[in-house]
Amino acid sequence: MNADKPTTTEKTVETKVKSPRRRVLAMIAGATGAAFLAGCAKNAPQDTFVPKGENAHKIQTLQNIVFPIAGVVGVLVLALAAYIFVKFKDRGQAIPSQAHGKPVVEIVLTIIPALILTVVGVFTFRTVFDLAETQDTQLVINVTGQQWWWEYDYPTAQQGFENIKTPIITSGQLVIPVGTKVLLRETSRDVIHSYWIPALNGKKDAVPGRIHLLRLEADKPGIYAGQCTEFCGLSHANMRMEAVALSRADFDKWVANQQKEYASPEAGTLAAAGETTFINQCSRCHQVNGLKDANGKVIISAPDENVWAGAAPNLSHLMSRTTFAGAMFDLVTDKCRKEVWNADSDAFGAAYLKGTTESCLNVKNLRAWLRNAPAMKPMYSDPAKLAKTGGKYRGMPNLGLTEDDIDKLVAYLTTLK
Amino acid sequence: MFTPGSRYFVGLTGLSLVVAVLYMFFVGSADLGAVALFGLVATGGTIAGFSFYTRDGDAASVDEATDAAIAPAPASFWPIVFALGAALILVGLATNPVVFVLGLAVLLGGGLEWAIQDWADRASADSAFNSFVRDRAISALDYPGLAAVGLGIVAFFFSRIMLNVSKSAAPIIFIVVAAAVLVVGSLIGTRSSFRGAPRNLTIVGGAVALLVIGSVAGFGGERHELKVVAEEKPYEVANRECGAEASAHYDHHASNAVAAKSGIIATIIVEDGSLYAQMVGFPTKLHSITVPRSNNTNIIFRNKDSEEHRLVANLGAVKPKGSEVAVPVGTCTQLAGKNQDQFMTFNIPKPSISQTKPYTLTVPGVAGAIEVIVP
Repeated sequence: MNADKPTTTEKTVETKVKSPRRRVLAMIAGATGAAFLAGCAKNAPQDTFVPKGENAHKIQTLQNIVFPIAGVVGVLVLALAAYIFVKFKDRGQAIPSQAHGKPVVEIVLTIIPALILTVVGVFTFRTVFDLAETQDTQLVINVTGQQWWWEYDYPTAQQGFENIKTPIITSGQLVIPVGTKVLLRETSRDVIHSYWIPALNGKKDAVPGRIHLLRLEADKPGIYAGQCTEFCGLSHANMRMEAVALSRADFDKWVANQQKEYASPEAGTLAAAGETTFINQCSRCHQVNGLKDANGKVIISAPDENVWAGAAPNLSHLMSRTTFAGAMFDLVTDKCRKEVWNADSDAFGAAYLKGTTESCLNVKNLRAWLRNAPAMKPMYSDPAKLAKTGGKYRGMPNLGLTEDDIDKLVAYLTTLK
Repeated sequence: MFTPGSRYFVGLTGLSLVVAVLYMFFVGSADLGAVALFGLVATGGTIAGFSFYTRDGDAASVDEATDAAIAPAPASFWPIVFALGAALILVGLATNPVVFVLGLAVLLGGGLEWAIQDWADRASADSAFNSFVRDRAISALDYPGLAAVGLGIVAFFFSRIMLNVSKSAAPIIFIVVAAAVLVVGSLIGTRSSFRGAPRNLTIVGGAVALLVIGSVAGFGGERHELKVVAEEKPYEVANRECGAEASAHYDHHASNAVAAKSGIIATIIVEDGSLYAQMVGFPTKLHSITVPRSNNTNIIFRNKDSEEHRLVANLGAVKPKGSEVAVPVGTCTQLAGKNQDQFMTFNIPKPSISQTKPYTLTVPGVAGAIEVIVP
């Protein structure tokens, strides 16, 4: 047997081991393929290219102009670069004649990009100014970002929305009327966040100490998903939001429900015991408007004493929402969630306004959250590591509740319709 | 092992350190005496190190003494710089921290240069070679150091000029100077005829002009309005009257800050003796505004009346810890003359339902109030 001749095994190994270059090419091809395939996703609620509101349509119109131009330019440049790389690869030939110092070529190569940028610029500026329009605002909502959830409050004294007699405050889900030019006045309590509901408009940063304006308008009823798009710390990826668009009639029903007076659970029920547990364990941070202590005194939460940013979600009408914990978790079961998300425009309002009913409550999620919130969503809530914030939490701590407490709290929270 | 001289300074350093630590412990670390004693530790330690390294300057006593070590050292001005630094430190300790820091920088810089030069002078008996060794070791520090000092001098004198001239003249001067620097730089870079004497003359002339004009401006002081604001101390609590009284203590240009223009939630206006609010998105005059809880809220107060007014925020009352008596919480702007703006920031941690009386914005002497609603 010839010792120099490779064996069958060696041949197999030799063919299997790819060169680094081939490996890189294979990775690029794989990544490109994955990117293309991602475009085929049917359930993509944060798809930038599916506008569902006037402002998003304006951005889409701009994209329709800019992307083809950018695409053609990009392909031309890449093709030209590839041609040059291949054609003029160093094979020891003489250096080709240089374009440097040829005014005609340089002027042409300056004028063409300038013209392209001018065309793109005209459309871009027009869109930017259109999106910044606020004169025709119909409804104003204050939006406040905080690690890692969004708070919405609806000011009073708004023309056309006189039914907002007392300010409404909610979180996670922004509720807006369809076909209404809604102006969000964004700010932040701690770090910079960014509000983005891709189907309704572009994104806008929420900066502490500043008010930034973003207008939303939804074409038809439905839920539109969003995501904080400015890195804001540990749970940035879990800082989500949903815009819920309702018909005007349904929106008015929602407003009426949000302004309903608080009603204590019937005495002697598990929910009533849960109210006491809530007062003892939760009301230090979470406000429930109208909740009173044993002496009949209205309880005012003091999140500013416990939470670094100074606020915690107001839970007055928790069960009118379908998500919690910064819209990260569903308050409803998968089945009920699908019923809301997949409802057609006419049926959507009724499906959403049902809120989280007892039969739809995702008890597992809620119990797990009450049992150990930081285990479900990363937060700075370990008391041993809060020196930097003077002992104040960023997020919700593990309250060490017993299973009995959790039973009571779930029963109580279910009454907050 | 230790030479007699170094022993003395090692002892001085050790003793100073003990005294400094005791002083810091019994009297206080922020006290000037602690600074002086630690200065003595640093000085004694440095001299001890030099003394040990140079064998008390007795080259013949060094075992490895060479011709280089025995050869007389060339003249050096670094010891003078070092001494100047020490003197500045002492003067600075008695007068001004800036002088102290300057002295420290001169002392450290001079000491480093002196040490490197001493080290290089021992490299050989050839002074040219020693000079080469020295340059190689220190040039990497010399040029950036000198550049930093040069830029610092330019920035200091230029800033004196900018603070002295009027606000309208400052941008013009800035543009002219920037253009002149650009032109001279371009000439130096592109014109060979502009090198040598013309270049040096221009640069030296510019530097002298900067030093002279900057010195004159520095002695002249800051422009009038900056002096006035500094003297009025509008931000001192004692000067924040919140009533209808007239006061000299106010910043006439508070709303000129960029932040005040871009981050406001509402503009509160006094016009024809009535008070109202304007908010983006609301087409009409408002008499209530809704602001987020526990968030810094910026407001502009605009006075369109001829009489001077200020805006007062009545933000409820709180009971201080250990007290049963509620204390009113509030803030106010300084006075605003006709068509002047003032800026106000407040943060309300409790919702409106926590109060028996609403949060309000009022203007002393003007009827009405703007209700501030906190959800």
